[in-house]
Order: sequence, then structure tokens, then C-alpha cells
Amino acid sequence: MRSRIFRAAVVTLLLGIVFLPIYWMVSTSFKSNEEITQETTLYPHAPSFANYVHLFSEKEFGAYMTNSLVVTAASVVIALVCGSLGAYAIARFRLPFELERKVGVGLLTLRIVPPVVILIPVYLLMLRLHLLNTWIGLILTYTAFNITFCVWMMESFFREIPVDLEEAAMVDGDSRFGAFCRIALPLAAPGLAATAIFAVIVTFNEFLFALALTATPRAMTMPRGTATLIGRIDTDWASMSAAGVVGALPIVIFALLVQRHLVRGLTMGAVK
Amino acid sequence: MSQSVRRTSRERLQGAGLDLALPYLLLAPSVLIVLGVLVYPLWDGLRASTKLYRYGTVLRDVGFQNYLHLWSDQQFRNALWVTIRFVTFSVAIETVLGFALALFCLHEFRGIRLLRTALIVPMVITPVVVGIVFRLIYASDVGMITTLSEALGGSQVQILGNPMKAFIGIVVLDVWEWTPLMFLILLAGLQSLPQEPFEAARVDGAGAWRSFVDLTLPMMRPVLAIAIILRTIDAFGTFDQVFVLTHGGPGQATTLVSLYGYDTSFKFQQVGYAAALFVTIGLIVLAFALAAVRLLRRVEPI
Repeated sequence: MRSRIFRAAVVTLLLGIVFLPIYWMVSTSFKSNEEITQETTLYPHAPSFANYVHLFSEKEFGAYMTNSLVVTAASVVIALVCGSLGAYAIARFRLPFELERKVGVGLLTLRIVPPVVILIPVYLLMLRLHLLNTWIGLILTYTAFNITFCVWMMESFFREIPVDLEEAAMVDGDSRFGAFCRIALPLAAPGLAATAIFAVIVTFNEFLFALALTATPRAMTMPRGTATLIGRIDTDWASMSAAGVVGALPIVIFALLVQRHLVRGLTMGAVK
Repeated sequence: MSQSVRRTSRERLQGAGLDLALPYLLLAPSVLIVLGVLVYPLWDGLRASTKLYRYGTVLRDVGFQNYLHLWSDQQFRNALWVTIRFVTFSVAIETVLGFALALFCLHEFRGIRLLRTALIVPMVITPVVVGIVFRLIYASDVGMITTLSEALGGSQVQILGNPMKAFIGIVVLDVWEWTPLMFLILLAGLQSLPQEPFEAARVDGAGAWRSFVDLTLPMMRPVLAIAIILRTIDAFGTFDQVFVLTHGGPGQATTLVSLYGYDTSFKFQQVGYAAALFVTIGLIVLAFALAAVRLLRRVEPI
């Protein structure tokens, strides 16, 4: 009995620690600036959506959202396609000079290097290619980052699939590539889902490269736009909190919808 | 399946004709994109780090001068020291809290699913927004802490204006955001441990503490080590949250190396110097990762 009360107390405390900061931002976003600065209330006494309306009508939040969705979708899809093909080659083929192993190790090493290390040269590269402040510039960058861990994650999923199944398909007349498409790929679908989810979250949230590579609503992503907004209006707490809610809401909803696969993607690799 | 059988079946799979080129075709897109967008810039960054720039254009070659200059740069040394302190405190606290929480949740009980779902939220929220969340908490005039303090009859609480408190503030932010990841990794590790040793220990009359020290800790060492390595590498590159929350201030109290490097390149346009700085950070992180992995291998062959 005592242990059950203790558990309930710990769980309540943890839920409080997780949600109190978020509650504060959400509740502030429904207050007016007068209420925030002059009354400092614990909850909105006259809740209104005015801050949100303001965000979409006078700021460029619609454009940021479009940019984020396009860039995230494109770079995740391209990285998944390229990454799965590459991962399959590494998992199944033995090349001269252990080439496939070297590619795998190389990609993993690139993953360890903090992205900030290549921030400047990537900026210079996009400058030279005239891809600054464009979707394509961001998509290229994010695709490359996503490939490094798509290959790594997908390879371990392909390794779990017994090779005999593909052999059987080839005996039945499938080509090598046909066996991949008809047998290996469907069996690796859960892995593909876990990888995709992880990639979507990381890409949607990315800020540093978006900060360096974009400058106007033409290509600014959600985190980039949010940071710009709060840089300009230092004490407009109402807009800031509403921007925070709008900026985080899509990805939080997405994560909660797919949480079962998400946990697998987050913890794998560490436990293997 | 024995090694030799596996190899012949692989060879059989490889086939002939177009199939011989297949692995190269499969690898090509990934390799080309990564070479173009990651490896080439990495090399380009190395080259830029040996040059002197003024307002974004190359003046001349300076060899390793940028690298040498770093170590006499008071601001860089301060940023490195702030980063090391930030990473050490954050990761240590996250490991202890995450491990305690994972042990607490090991035996399924009601409410645990809710807790696990809730703990996903901090780590998936956009880091920029996490910065906003904590700015709304710490703000001295309208923040949550001040509001609570005033509701209880206290006065305004200064956090971001005080160097020590601002530093603690960014550690607290990191702990809030990333303890859940530690928890999930360590919980998965705990759940994959074999049950027999614990049952044997119980039969032998070992208490909870003894079996934790003698069994849980040693068996969890590889998972713990990997979780700590991953988190440390990640924490070293922290940028977004601190950029939004304090932008390195007050003074230089929360200026992490990533922030200092960003300002050097984009605000002050010292491209070559900043490139040298980032290469140095990359080498430090890589050296740490290699040393940690080697240490891990020696203790426990994987």
C-alpha cells in the first residue's frame, strides 16, 4: 500500500515537471500582453485566440509551415530511398577491398562529427551554387545528414532478415533487385517506419543550418521563423508564446501518434 | 549457419551480368550525395581553416596560425571551459536521474504507459521552442518562477541576468529536455538483462542493494557507457536552445563553443578562424568518442 502511494506520488511529480513548463507557455499564449506584464496571472483570465490570429495574418507563419513541410518531406523521402538501397548493399554484398564495410564505417564516422563543424563550408558551397535561401539548398543538406543514419539504421534491419528468403525468390526466377523489392523491403517495413519517424523529427526541428542557409520567408522553416520573430520582438511575450506553441505543435502531435515506433528508433543502436 | 556456408550462399546470391554491378548502383546515390554535401565541405573547411579572411574574402594563407591563435584567444578558452562544464554537469545529472527513473519503472505498474508517453514530449519538442519555454519560465518580470514567487508573497527572481544562475539555467533546460532519452535507453537496457542471475541472488539471500551493485551495474555497464557517449557528443554541439534563451549571456557566462564559432563566422566574418575553431571542436569530439569506445572494448569485448 505504501509503495503504491509512493509510486503515485513520483509519477505525479514527474508529470508535473514535464508539463508545468509547457503549460506555462500554452497559458501565456492565450493571454493579452497587458495581462502578462501587469497582472502576472497563473492562468488566462480572459482567454483569446488573438495572438494566434495575429501570428498567421501579420507574420509569415503560413509560409514557414509550408517550407518546413516541403523540405522535411522531400529530404526524408529521398534519404530513405537512397539510404535503404545503400544499406541493403552493405548488408548483403561482399565487395572487393571490403568496400561496402568501409562505406558503412565512413558514414558512421560522419555521424559522430557534430554538424556544426561543416556549417561554414556548407554555407560557402550553397553560396557558390546560388542555393542560399532556397528549398533545394535545405533539402540537399538535410538529405545528406539523413542518409548517414538511414543507412546505418536500415542496415541493421536488413541484417535481421534471413538471406534464405531472397534466395528462394531468386530460385523462383526473381532478379536480384526483384528479390530486394518483393522480399526484403516489405519485411523491413517496421524498420523503415522507425527510421522515417526519427528522420522527420530531427529534420523538422533542425535550426542551425536553417539559420545559416535561409534569410526570408521564401525558404525559412518553422524553427528558423520562430527564432527570427522572437529576436525582433524581445518583450512581446504574447506573440512569442503563441509562436512557440505553433512551432512545436505539429511535431509533438506527430510524435504522439507514432510513439510506439519512435521509442524503438530512439533507443536502438544503444542497446544492441 | 556456419561461416563457410554463409559465404558460398552470398556468392551464389551475387549472380552474374548486371547483378555484378548492382551493389555499386545501390550504393552510388547515397555515396554521391554524402561526398558532395558532407565530405567535400569537410575538406573545404579544412582548407579554409588555414587561410585568413577579412569580410568574407580570402586575404592570404596563414598555415596553422588560426589553430595556434585559438589557444591564446581568451574568449575561445572561456567558451571551451563553459562547454565542458555544461556537458559534464548535464550528462552526469541526466545519467543518474535517468537510471533511477528506469529502475523505478522496471516493474510494470499502472500509470507507467502514461508516464512513458509524457516523457517523449520534452525530447521531440523543437529545441528552439524549448528555448522559448524556458525564457518564459526564467524572465525576471513575467516568468513562471517570478509569478510563483510573487503569488507566495516573495519578490522578483533574477536568473538570466546572473552569470552563475544563467549557467545553472541552461543545465536545467538540458536536463529537462534529455533525461527522458537516457531513461528510455537505460530502461530498454534493463529490460534486456537476463533474469536468472537475479533469481539466483535472491535465493542466496542478497538484498536489493547488493544485487544492484553486484549484478545490475556491471551488466549495464556497456549500455550505460554508450548512452553517456551518445549524449556527450550531442551535448557538445548544443546550440539552438542557448541561442534562443541567453545568446551566450550575461557576458560570456553561457557562451558555448558552438555559439562562439557561429558569431565568429557570421557576425564577425572571420571565416578562416571560425573554420579552424570548428575543426578543433570536431577533433575533440572525435578523440573523445574513439577513446571512450576503445576503453569500452578493453573492459568488455563487444
